[in-house]
Amino acid sequence: MIRAIWDNLKGLYSLLVGMKITLIFLFSPQKTVHYPRKTVERENLITYRGPLELTRGKTDPAVTRCISCQMCVKACPGHCLTVVKNPEKSVKAPIEWKYDFTLCCLCGACVETCPTSALAFSHRIYLVARTREELIFDLLADLKARVEETPVLPGEEGASAEAAQG
Amino acid sequence: MTGFNFINPFGVSDEPGTYLGDFYTDNFEKKATAGNVILNLGPQHPSTHGVLRVLVELYGEYVLRAEPVLGYLHRMQEKMGEVKTPYQYLPNMGRVDYLNPIAWNWAFAGAVETLAGIEVPERAEYLRVIAAELNRVSSHLLWWGAFVMDLGGVTPILYAFEEREKLNDITQIVTGSRLTLNYFRFGGVGQDGDARFFKLIEEFIPYMRERLKMYTGLVTDNVIFRRRLEGVGPMDESLCLRYGATGPILRAAGVNYDTRLAIPYGVYDRLECPVPTGQPNDCFGRYMIRLLEIEASLTILERALASIPEGPTLVAKAPKPTYKLPAGEVYFAVEGARGQVGCHIVSDGGKTPYRVKLRAPGFSNLSLFAEAAQGTILADAIAILGSLDLVIPEVDR
Ligand code: SF4
Ligand code: SF4
Repeated sequence: MIRAIWDNLKGLYSLLVGMKITLIFLFSPQKTVHYPRKTVERENLITYRGPLELTRGKTDPAVTRCISCQMCVKACPGHCLTVVKNPEKSVKAPIEWKYDFTLCCLCGACVETCPTSALAFSHRIYLVARTREELIFDLLADLKARVEETPVLPGEEGASAEAAQG
Repeated sequence: MTGFNFINPFGVSDEPGTYLGDFYTDNFEKKATAGNVILNLGPQHPSTHGVLRVLVELYGEYVLRAEPVLGYLHRMQEKMGEVKTPYQYLPNMGRVDYLNPIAWNWAFAGAVETLAGIEVPERAEYLRVIAAELNRVSSHLLWWGAFVMDLGGVTPILYAFEEREKLNDITQIVTGSRLTLNYFRFGGVGQDGDARFFKLIEEFIPYMRERLKMYTGLVTDNVIFRRRLEGVGPMDESLCLRYGATGPILRAAGVNYDTRLAIPYGVYDRLECPVPTGQPNDCFGRYMIRLLEIEASLTILERALASIPEGPTLVAKAPKPTYKLPAGEVYFAVEGARGQVGCHIVSDGGKTPYRVKLRAPGFSNLSLFAEAAQGTILADAIAILGSLDLVIPEVDR
């Protein structure tokens, strides 16, 4: 009898402890990030690996470092890359660089095999598209657009840092 | 069953003896006693965590028989291993079990390394342990939240997600993604941790210990929660061994078996992992053992951080994407959050492996359910299902 009462009291106390914890959290500052009014801090964004992008050229930033060697195309498990060689043998740069993001699993095989480091992951975390076609990127045009927008990169951050805002 | 057909009330035929459900329902129904209700739990049911379907025969509230039906999330992961080169197949490992990708990473990378005789640098081994333990904590946390939610407490999962966010931020630094982590490479890891990575882990360990205390007050000691779970769904040693259950379920039944200690891999033998065992073998014991494992993982993390050496994180001659496995056969097992994760590769020396077999711990653990749920109340059956920590994509592969 006494034991039963004691057990019940103990049970009630355990509920109170739980409620106290809930109350403390009710009045502590909110942790949720209300996107789009707030965004995650940049420190977190730049470690995110988003869709691929071509890195800037060493001499002319608007010209890709890609030498059309097709290593990335062979390495890719999702068959999402199309690199078209320039028919003129003397020019190594490709004439077309298509990237199908709908098939990409962001594994990094292409980035790691590229002999000239022509590829990098962007940090485009807020990518939205309404159709499939919008997710098939022409990376050569993308590189041109980025270079036009910011010809010189701020600071000594990586070549892909500016995309974090995009 | 004559009269009203619960499975297919709008069926075309109502002749006795003709069954209108699918193959599984028909077979299940044949053995049912007349008058009992056959019920489909799932495939779309919030408590089955994904698309698991469980057929139950109910007598009132009591479950007389239960039969899990699988295959709703089958993605041919094993077949894909036969058409991709090992390097190309590696990212798949992050997708077999989305809550515990690192263990699968390790199982496959470990199998390939053992077969090909690739040495892994010391630092990479430690980074692997760190990643695996972080991942185990995050997997157990989600299970904790989801399990309490199954039992009717909705808020704890929100606390669990706060911790998971922190863990995701940490693992994102080295892996680049938040869910389907693809961190391991043959002969090392993808990326070395930077100063921020180690700093965040160091901050996370004491923080998580505080939170575990909070969990105790909020959920574990809660009298309603305890009375709901204590004595429900006991699974003794013989049941676990008969069905090949591993992981926390087996350890809750009192068997001290942990792949990290039984078949040491990586540097686990040097870290002296504490392995909690011998909780009561009911739902509450399985709950407790996972919380204790979080605690143990934090200890392992601390030790790994203290003794991580400097050096390279990838061997100099790491396999290329077109790497061919030498002919042979290998089985490599690691301890995942849900039990023994294994990978069996048979290679004939060709471009792609001849056969890749993945051992999913969830598959064996689920098999216990039919027997454990017999004779329990339906609500308790849900608690038992929750305590098994099932991830259906992993069960179906
Ligand atoms: S990240 Fe992987 S899937 Fe995506 S393009 Fe590169 S190799 Fe292909
Ligand atoms: S591997 Fe690099 S250089 Fe070769 S085609 Fe791909 S992007 Fe161009």
